[in-house]
Amino acid sequence: MTVELQPGKPQEPGGRVPGGRQPEPGPPRSPRAWWRRPAVHTGVAGAVLGYLLGHLLGNFIAHGYSQVQNSGQNDYAIVLGYVLGTVGWLAGLGVFNDLLRQLAGRPVHAAEEAGDSSSGLARYFRYSLDHKVVGLQYLVGMIGYFLTGGLLAMAIRTELLSPSTHVFSSAAYTEIVGEHGTMMMMMLSSIILGPLGNYLMPLMIGSKRMAFPRIEALSFWLTPAAYLILLSGLMFGGFPFGWTGYAPLSVEATQGADAYAVAFGVMGISLILLGFNIIVTIVCYRAPGMRWSRLPIFVWAILTTSFLMVLAAPVLVGGMYMMITDRTVQTAFFTSDLGGSSYLWENLFWFFGHPEVYILALPGFGIVCEILPVFCRKPLFGYRIAAAGMVGVTLLSFFVWQHHLFDSGINPDMRPVFMLTTELISIPTGFIFLVALGTFWKAKIRFSVPMLFALGFYFNFLIGGISGVFLSDVPADTTEHGTFFVMAHFHYTIMGGLVFAFMGGLYYWLPKMMGIELNQKLGKIHFWTMFVFFNSTFLPLFAVGMAGQPRRVYTYARSLETLNDWVSISAFLLGGSILVFVINFVWSTVIARVPAPGNPWRSRGLEWQIPSPPPPGNFTVVPVVLSGPYEYGVAGAPPVADLDPPLGVISRDSLGDAAEQVEV
Amino acid sequence: MSGTLSPPPSSPAPPPEPPEGVTRAAEEASFYHEAALNAAWTGVRLAIGGLSFGFGCFVFAYFYLRSLNSHGMWHPAGFKGPQPWAGALIMALVVVSALLQYLGLTRIKGGHKRPWQLAALAALALGLAAVGLQVWELLNLRFQPGSAGFASVFTGATPVFLIIVLGALIWLETLIMRARAVPAISFVEQPPTYAEAFAVQRFQAGLSAFTVLWNYLAVIAIVFWVLFYVTA
Repeated sequence: MTVELQPGKPQEPGGRVPGGRQPEPGPPRSPRAWWRRPAVHTGVAGAVLGYLLGHLLGNFIAHGYSQVQNSGQNDYAIVLGYVLGTVGWLAGLGVFNDLLRQLAGRPVHAAEEAGDSSSGLARYFRYSLDHKVVGLQYLVGMIGYFLTGGLLAMAIRTELLSPSTHVFSSAAYTEIVGEHGTMMMMMLSSIILGPLGNYLMPLMIGSKRMAFPRIEALSFWLTPAAYLILLSGLMFGGFPFGWTGYAPLSVEATQGADAYAVAFGVMGISLILLGFNIIVTIVCYRAPGMRWSRLPIFVWAILTTSFLMVLAAPVLVGGMYMMITDRTVQTAFFTSDLGGSSYLWENLFWFFGHPEVYILALPGFGIVCEILPVFCRKPLFGYRIAAAGMVGVTLLSFFVWQHHLFDSGINPDMRPVFMLTTELISIPTGFIFLVALGTFWKAKIRFSVPMLFALGFYFNFLIGGISGVFLSDVPADTTEHGTFFVMAHFHYTIMGGLVFAFMGGLYYWLPKMMGIELNQKLGKIHFWTMFVFFNSTFLPLFAVGMAGQPRRVYTYARSLETLNDWVSISAFLLGGSILVFVINFVWSTVIARVPAPGNPWRSRGLEWQIPSPPPPGNFTVVPVVLSGPYEYGVAGAPPVADLDPPLGVISRDSLGDAAEQVEV
Repeated sequence: MSGTLSPPPSSPAPPPEPPEGVTRAAEEASFYHEAALNAAWTGVRLAIGGLSFGFGCFVFAYFYLRSLNSHGMWHPAGFKGPQPWAGALIMALVVVSALLQYLGLTRIKGGHKRPWQLAALAALALGLAAVGLQVWELLNLRFQPGSAGFASVFTGATPVFLIIVLGALIWLETLIMRARAVPAISFVEQPPTYAEAFAVQRFQAGLSAFTVLWNYLAVIAIVFWVLFYVTA
């Protein structure tokens, strides 16, 4: 059938046609007492019930199995407990309510109407379909993850204060290292796209909504489940294999490994859903006139990152699933005696794991490229190069994973190929630095807090990137593999890069998200302490690594004690700098609550052209984008958008391309 | 702020007069309606990309372990694989279900709601039969999951396929239930209101998206059948 968009009769949405058939209205939404409405408390109840049910089911299924009787540990019960606990958590939150209504043939409310209508804090504890609420839920959730992972890092550095006097046993130390690494990798994959992507992207592309709000909300509510499951692994003896989960150790380890596999798998599903929704929204929900060539560079960054998530994370989930089946139903994916191979795990894990590196890096690139032109008051140099660089990194990142296997069984003839692809990826990465240099050129830079963090990002990522090129070289990698040199390298790229960019983005966009400005003086203290102590912590670790200190070992040569003490003390001070951020965040958003100006940075970004925080629905009417967001200092530059376009302009089908009609 | 947001005064061509009867609400509803239709098209193709990587890791495991044949244990002598008739039947059920659904789609596009409903119900029943048979097969395996490399991949991959198929069937069931609320005449004639026209179009977009996914899963069923029953 063909349905004309403009039927002959006069009509409007809702179908108020005199004498015509009226659509069936949905059932009225009756207000219920708060404790009867799905929220975190019902979610917790569902999780507890689900866990108990899963545990009982696991015991029932496996009580007679010889491997359970011989080992004394029932992985079935643990895994089923985690899985059904997660399902119960989601059911308690009301995630499945609309699906069940649809299955029963009952109408569901449109996403715009189905969102939690309550205001205040309560909506942040519910399955809200408002992308701004989800963004702030993600923000608080990811900060919680980050602080937990940071405390674990403090524990690691406490142990390494001395090679001979131990705070933890070697097993406990390994557990802490594993929890720290896994938690940080899980959290950092979402730390930009979750809070900033969900909150800001629709504003930046001129949309009133996300494509799939239910999927968006689901992607967030999986993260608390993953967090708790991962932490619960400590109750079962943790996992002794770090965040990489190498087999056969991961298959043979105690039940803490179940927590690792289920938590990472759940987080992988969350990443897939997060990226899926973001891609579809960017492709389909851009405002009229928001051409690809006008897309903010941050949106390009999260778009490319989302592709990595959607395509790479399924392999992570598949790998974790195989680990779980090896540990429960006794498949032998990773047991070579029975026809499996531990190298299968290495390939699957790193096929996800290396794109994961760029899942962490690209959003940081996007943030700093977004910040630079605002504080340089110049157009972003090489906008197309920056976007092309991100696309190039995305494509190449699928062809480099074998460099993680240089020292663990790769066919030596294959090494040069992957050395070459790895070195090749430094070229599009280098574009980001060219863009920065071109933007800095003859600029009058404003050294506000977001810009300081952006500059810190460039300094740190340069060291991280160059040491990465060094490690991509086979002889160098063979020498430094498994040492603190590698650890220093990836902390420079991830913490020195992504976390600095995240902090810059937070100082930059928090006035938009909350209508409140973070204290700038405390912000500068935060930046300088974090910058100094970050470098003071991780720079010496290159030397420590070159001297041969291995990762994940709780003791080391006596001759390295001074350097290790220096690093540990610096790490504690680095933790103190994060505390400054927490104090600033709490002080500014809870106690002082100084309203921020509407556009404190005088940005041309579309998101800054509406009130802060954005009203429900973001825009009064769908805006029409007229020009790019970076035309600072360009004489005669048109306004970025028309927020009140004439009637008839935005309807693409009936009236053609809106941007063409109001082009200047 | 408003200074930067007003319409550009130097616009060479003023926007055309809106068509009679178009209101702001109608215009925006139309805009987001079109976006939703595009989202269904884009989303299902993206989902297929993600699923391909998910299934791909099992296909990779299959060929990787088969190539390595560690300790000669990929498919050791005397190893009895899964029942060939069950594999063929599961594959056939999914493929026939997809064909029926596809034919039903062509009928509803031609304005015939009832034939699609019948085809969809049949497709749903066949799909559920495939799921049931797969469950039965997994509960009655002729080998231990860890008895060979092949056994591991089979025991690992088939439940994943089963879960994805079950998810797709849940989607089909919701479409069947949604279709009940749409008058048959709406598939033939222009509905009298925007709301109804949009509802019909969104249903059709959802149905088209589902059909693409279901056809894709039928292809995966064939691939798995070839890997696990024909070339094993």
